[in-house]
Amino acid sequence: MIEDIPVLSLILLSPLVGLLIVLLLPGQRSNWLRTAAVVFTLIPLALSLWLFASFQPGAGGAAYAEHYTWLSIPLNKEMVNGGSMNLNFDYSLSVDGISLPLLLLTAIVSTMAALASVHIRKRWKLFYVLFLLLETGMYGVFLARDLIEFFIFFELTLIPMFFLIGIWGYYGREKAATRFLVYNGLGSAAMLLAFLILIATAGFTAVQQDTGFQIDFSGSYDVLLKNLADPASYANNASAEMADLGLYLSDSLKWTAFVLLLVAFGVKIPIFPFHTWMLRVHTEAPPSIVMIHSGVLLKMGVYGLIRFGAFLLPAQLESWSTAIAILGVINILYGAVLACVQKEFKLVLAYSSISHMGIVLLGIASLNEAGLEGALYQSVSHGLISALLFLIVGSLYERTNTTQLDELGGLAKSVPFLSGILLTAGLASLGLPGLSGFVGEFLSFLGLFGSMKWITAIGVFGILFAAVYVLRSVLNITYGPLKEPFAGIKDARFIEAVPMVALTALIVLLGVYPSVLTDVMQHGFGGLLEQISQRTGG
Amino acid sequence: MSSLAEYAWLVPVFPAAAFAVLTAMGRGAGRGGAWIGTLASLASLVLSLMLAGQRLSGTAVEYSNHFDWIRAGGFTLSLGYEVTNLTVLMLVVVSLVSFLVNLYSHGYMKDDERISTFFAYVALFSSSMLGLVLSYNLLTMYIFWELVGVCSFLLVGFYFRKPEAKAAAKKAFIVTRIGDIGLLIAILLLFWYMPNHSLDFTEIHNVFGTQTGVISMGITTLIALLIFLGAVGKSGQFPLHVWLPDAMEGPTPISALIHAATMVAAGVFLVTRTFDIFEASQAAMTTVAVIGAFTAIFAATIGLAQNDIKRILAYSTVSQLGYMMLALGVGSETGAMFHLFTHAFFKALLFLGAGSVIHAVHTQDIREMGGLGRKMKITAGTFGIGALALSGIPPFAGFWSKDAVLAAALEANPIYFIVGVIAAFFTALYMARLFFLVFAGSPRGASHAHESPAVMTVPLLVLAVLAVIAGFVQTPFSEWFGEWLFPGAEEEHASVLVIVVSIVAGLLGIYLGWLIYAKGSVRRDVVSSRMPGLVRLLERKYYVDELYDLVFVRPLGGLGKLLNVIDDYVVDGAVRVVGQSASAIGRLNTRLQSGQLQTYALTALIGLVILALAIAGRRFW
Repeated sequence: MIEDIPVLSLILLSPLVGLLIVLLLPGQRSNWLRTAAVVFTLIPLALSLWLFASFQPGAGGAAYAEHYTWLSIPLNKEMVNGGSMNLNFDYSLSVDGISLPLLLLTAIVSTMAALASVHIRKRWKLFYVLFLLLETGMYGVFLARDLIEFFIFFELTLIPMFFLIGIWGYYGREKAATRFLVYNGLGSAAMLLAFLILIATAGFTAVQQDTGFQIDFSGSYDVLLKNLADPASYANNASAEMADLGLYLSDSLKWTAFVLLLVAFGVKIPIFPFHTWMLRVHTEAPPSIVMIHSGVLLKMGVYGLIRFGAFLLPAQLESWSTAIAILGVINILYGAVLACVQKEFKLVLAYSSISHMGIVLLGIASLNEAGLEGALYQSVSHGLISALLFLIVGSLYERTNTTQLDELGGLAKSVPFLSGILLTAGLASLGLPGLSGFVGEFLSFLGLFGSMKWITAIGVFGILFAAVYVLRSVLNITYGPLKEPFAGIKDARFIEAVPMVALTALIVLLGVYPSVLTDVMQHGFGGLLEQISQRTGG
Repeated sequence: MSSLAEYAWLVPVFPAAAFAVLTAMGRGAGRGGAWIGTLASLASLVLSLMLAGQRLSGTAVEYSNHFDWIRAGGFTLSLGYEVTNLTVLMLVVVSLVSFLVNLYSHGYMKDDERISTFFAYVALFSSSMLGLVLSYNLLTMYIFWELVGVCSFLLVGFYFRKPEAKAAAKKAFIVTRIGDIGLLIAILLLFWYMPNHSLDFTEIHNVFGTQTGVISMGITTLIALLIFLGAVGKSGQFPLHVWLPDAMEGPTPISALIHAATMVAAGVFLVTRTFDIFEASQAAMTTVAVIGAFTAIFAATIGLAQNDIKRILAYSTVSQLGYMMLALGVGSETGAMFHLFTHAFFKALLFLGAGSVIHAVHTQDIREMGGLGRKMKITAGTFGIGALALSGIPPFAGFWSKDAVLAAALEANPIYFIVGVIAAFFTALYMARLFFLVFAGSPRGASHAHESPAVMTVPLLVLAVLAVIAGFVQTPFSEWFGEWLFPGAEEEHASVLVIVVSIVAGLLGIYLGWLIYAKGSVRRDVVSSRMPGLVRLLERKYYVDELYDLVFVRPLGGLGKLLNVIDDYVVDGAVRVVGQSASAIGRLNTRLQSGQLQTYALTALIGLVILALAIAGRRFW
């Protein structure tokens, strides 16, 4: 029955409905505004859960796809034999085993962040409007199956983020917001250029008609996937026309497109040395926004790299795999070593994110099932763990007014619940088996080890540093003698405890029973692996 | 016949359930919660004993079961459990010590406000260790291996307000994690080199034990050494032994449970489980033997110069684990497992006895104790039995198992044997020193000491009985234990030479200790006055901690700080340049926005030309 309902559109649009309702509510009623925002994050959460629960890997993608041509522009171009040419803009949504886990992650983290926004103290209406707009953008990124559409949604997340950092952040918020925009703008420019190259050279369907070829250009992902997987057929089909136009996707052009995509998504992930902007966002943005930033937005980079880099240009990814693996190891060790010496807890977490995203890169570079699943698993897991960590940061800061490690200490005495959750989140972050972090790490290492043993072995040392920085910072906050000013602080309120317990439960679930996610992912990578094995086999 | 073995998975599940319940109840559970943990450990013990009964009767076949944990097209990662004589033996040892420690803790921890948290951690620990023992493949074992490590961390840091406990907990986790990296890489290697990506112990046995040549010698040695690195970390072998003595910051019952009887044995158990890989590589075997022998004597000498009762016992643990590794290195699985078996009982006994003493006098410094033998008769008597067992005096359990190790060592290489005997002499000496300083003579500190309550002394008595009789399962006259555990394995018989030499070494050590610390006929500063440097070297534990600080901790910290500066000024600086040029362009734009239409048109035109040039240039890419 789910097949008959446009679930994907409902997920995409429900935050927008929430946005309209928030706009109509009185701006001084922070409780009303928050309740409305939470309700309208719960709706897509419920829908995503339904989608996830009823998702049938064997049934094929068509059951969960929507496709409309939005507008079609004829291109005035003289054609041989009187054919015609159109440029189509599509509204095309779909989910598969790769986007579904990330869609669910977005829904979960958004709901938790909406709940955690209880700490926001000013301009609630604008805050929730931007929040819901951001949420729509994120859903759009994971659902879109058209390059132009993807680009628009990707940009749609930037603008609300810019204001959310710049208005509600801490002391250095404005600089952080500018830094965020400059970097991501450069990334977007690279992405747009790559997309235009791909669309212009491979993003078309040619149909033989009486009057000649009718050629439709569009950003359709499915068309690109088909054309790029089988270049011979699409080139032959309209070879005369194409040669005439000079539209041919040469290897060097493919290479250029891949590098541009790597830069575009590398900024987002972030890959060293493009990471400094995200440090600022981690420290300056309000914690509930960092939950989304670290929990979901960084994963848009991973998703983009897999969806467009790996699936559209697998040969280029393959030739770049050693470089990506080395970049991954640099991310892991650089982030981890720097996390060990930070004095500000939020910076520890920021560098730890860099380190964990390095593991994702290792998984992608492996180009095998274990590694790719590991990369995606690690993304989901890191999303949940960092959301939980920043949820705790928000609650701690409200009580202590500081997240400097040397000003904190002994909190396990006065806030045992918060401290216990913090320790659990820390253990998940350092990859303790039984919690979600281990599965992603293990699969990524396992995958890459098949092709690059030494690089993996060096990367594995990241787990040692992870133990050092996690224990150093968490124990500095919770263990030791209780610092005087914090003797009277109260433990988490019910409203704070609910998202913490929920996220912890999910982290445990994914750590104990990974099949719940891997069975879905397995379906997503099938086609890619066939392509790769065909090439290496043939 | 329906086999009890099908329900073996319940053994770790009982305490895991207790952990879940206690955690959900929070601190409100109180002392009632403590009984939940104890009942769960009793349930594990009963089931383990029933399993052992079935295996001893000889009717049960080996049983294993597993399920798919992660499925993928090309491979499956599965978890599972396996019931063999070896796993059942370990189940009984772990669940028995765990149950006794649970019982004892009711007395020892009764005034602690976090008593239910303590029992929750103990339950989680028992569950992980029992799971580790039951594992049917390396992945399952690795998962529980890490969980055991984290429980140890939680329990060492139980008194979280003490800075020493915080430091010790952190150190325990991080140092053992160095070993875990080795184990993890070994698993990755096995996954890619084993036929069908199998990590099962049975498959490992088949591939390395019978089909030699499937995996090349170099890789075999590498895998064995990496697994051994994991074992070195967990079992406190040199050079990763540094965490174990510091781990004595935890509550004393925990020292008995984790750092004596069970967790540290996990390394020895791991090597035993993957022994075919080691046997396939002579280089790996030699490494194991040398590290084991060196650790045995190295830790024993440190034990001579310590004054903290728990630290002396901790170094003795390190030393005894060295014996077990030595046994493995010279090819005697039976010797290693036998010594592990007896050591679990008498070392748990010694630690719980030490806990009883600490409970009474509220200090851990043996120089402040003395004359406790008259006031704490049960503690003194049982501790004496434990000390004799550790010193290898017949007929106590440690004698038989140490002889088995020494016999195997002598057969392999006389040097191992000589090192083992000297270490045995030191062991007897430091135990005599400990015993006489604590229990003999006159009180030097607290005089109000009294015997501990029954809930603490009963576990001592049970363990004392085991420390007396556990050795008779494997004597030179009856080798039932080895044949039951490892059917078909050849074992060395302890010759008269081995027996005599080891007894003489033990008695000499005790006699010397008695002369110095009880009778006083040899001055205590006989060594320290002549060789102050040597004593200082031992007191400072050969400066290994200081060395690590100098070689690893400081350089890495320095590197971190250096990178931090680079990250701030170089990496981020490049961005600032980009950012500034962007805002410069922005300023330029503001100037352009003069409101004149022509300027706008010009700008747009320039942009278009650039775009057109870019597109035109594409052909040449």
